[in-house]
Amino acid sequence: MSVPTLKMTLRLRLLFAASAGFGLIAVLLGVGALFPAVGHAIGKLSIPKGVDQLLGGADYGTITGWYRSEVGSIYGPLLIAAVAIISASASTAGEEEDRILGLVLAHPVERSRLIVAKAVAIAAIVVVLAIGCWVGLIAGVALAGGGITVGHLAAYCLQLALFGFATGSVALAIGAGTGRRSLANGASAAVAIIGWLINGFAPLVSAISWLKYLSLFYYYDGNDPLAHGVDIANVIVLGAAALLLTAVAAISIKHRDLHA
Amino acid sequence: MSTQPVIATSGLSKDYGSGRGLFGLDLEVGRGEVFGFLGPNGAGKSTTMRLLLDLIKPSAGSAQLLGLDSVNDSLAIRRRVGFLPGDLALYPKLTGRAVLDYLAELRGGVDRRLRDSLVERFDADLDRPVRQLSTGNRQKLGLIQAFMHEPELLILDEPIAGLDPLVQQSFHALLGEVSAEGRTVFLSSHTLSEVERVTDRLAILRQGRLVVVDSLENLRKVAVQRLEIEFGEPVDANEFRALPGVTEAHAEGSTVIVGFEGPADAVVKAAAAHEVRAIRPYEDDLEDIFLRYYRTDDPA
Ligand SMILES: Nc1ncnc2c1ncn2[C@@H]1O[C@H](COP(=O)(O)OP(=O)(O)OP(=O)(O)O)[C@@H](O)[C@H]1O
Ligand SMILES: [Mg+2]
Repeated sequence: MSVPTLKMTLRLRLLFAASAGFGLIAVLLGVGALFPAVGHAIGKLSIPKGVDQLLGGADYGTITGWYRSEVGSIYGPLLIAAVAIISASASTAGEEEDRILGLVLAHPVERSRLIVAKAVAIAAIVVVLAIGCWVGLIAGVALAGGGITVGHLAAYCLQLALFGFATGSVALAIGAGTGRRSLANGASAAVAIIGWLINGFAPLVSAISWLKYLSLFYYYDGNDPLAHGVDIANVIVLGAAALLLTAVAAISIKHRDLHA
Repeated sequence: MSTQPVIATSGLSKDYGSGRGLFGLDLEVGRGEVFGFLGPNGAGKSTTMRLLLDLIKPSAGSAQLLGLDSVNDSLAIRRRVGFLPGDLALYPKLTGRAVLDYLAELRGGVDRRLRDSLVERFDADLDRPVRQLSTGNRQKLGLIQAFMHEPELLILDEPIAGLDPLVQQSFHALLGEVSAEGRTVFLSSHTLSEVERVTDRLAILRQGRLVVVDSLENLRKVAVQRLEIEFGEPVDANEFRALPGVTEAHAEGSTVIVGFEGPADAVVKAAAAHEVRAIRPYEDDLEDIFLRYYRTDDPA
């Protein structure tokens, strides 16, 4: 791994990641503060099953269900995926399209080591966001009157971080493999959104319910970590997907022409 | 070992389809040479340089730099080569200093004093974000990063583009020092006048193919020279047309412009029969053969 490249990538992405992190913490606090007032009332509404599934199929009346539906099902993963995808495409295909990569790679650094450094930078950004998320959740849950253990919150944040890293690695692989920033952004966003839809809808139709296993979202949310704690198998699947995609990125950039 | 060329390409090609790219380039550049690589837009100059640095892969042929294979030993080559890309781009939000720091770190550090002396020499502004810099000031950063690790070989794609005459002078002086130290410079340009003062030998590329490789001296020998001779009174241009070697002569008032190949002797002696007020050489003499090589319809 190229350490200078790791430092440079973090430096270039720091402001963006930090502002996303502060936004996340603010939302987590707000959601916690709202729970005593509206959580119980919404819990009694009847919501169509499809919508319910997309929101995590949770019981809004409980604090775990509340956080799962308000943060876990859309906002949290959306935010971390967006940060990871944008950072990964910008630091690979973005730099290439901006013609900076051509100069960097005229220096004595191996392409694959450069990509590994970028992947580590994305992982670091995602971990920092997840730690921010954990702190925000602890405070938010306290505001809501308690009810989720710190361990379960950590389990959730771990699975969130891995989901972000795996999704970012999709962008890394496409960005490094093609050198096209908008393709990397678009295709990996599509992978994330389709995964989210599959996870929501496939279980409703038993014939295709197995499709959910193809969704990264399933491994993030399927075991409901806020309620039940960490699922080692899911953690392994997400981690393995991220590593595999990073390997694809590092190998696919090796033998191709860099864009002018 | 010293006779081994620093750059040697053999049949080096990059086929982009529809006749574009680089085709069968055979070129040798020796140690300590300042070698000019010329050609019109789209000739394949940048393509060649990108091939040498393994940024793109050849579709045929191969290149050796410093005795190493450009593809298989690229990492070792890049350690010893400095590169200035054409159309240079740097991280726009970072200052020149931050960019140079990063590029130096990629090389495992560079001699601080050398870097500082280059900064001083080019009077580069390191404290402003790159996006606020003018083209020339950005180009200075590009030159500093290419030279700051004392590479044995410099590959410079249009290094003079955007530099003011004073900076061009410092750059030319630097090239002189570098080649005196036995280091090699391979630089591209569109026009001869940009490289005339610094190159020993040059190659002209056209439509991806090498047209000519020769020393500047030899090219000069075959060049048409032109003199502008101002007389005391109008003189008939036909007097000069008949002289050996003269290719053209015409009068403008009391001034006659004579173009000739080879020695100037006959022309000067014929002129001496009249009152000569001034003799001025035309600067663009070499540029002429150049354009001849550039023109696509000319078999050259
Ligand atoms: N990635 C590419 N895909 C297709 N064609 C390309 C590509 N890169 C370069 N070319 C073509 O190859 C030819 C040579 O381009 P190159 O950039 O090497 O020219 P050049 O001599 O550097 O020109 P200039 O003086 O304008 O910089 C051009 O016709 C160009 O259009
Ligand atoms: Mg060019």
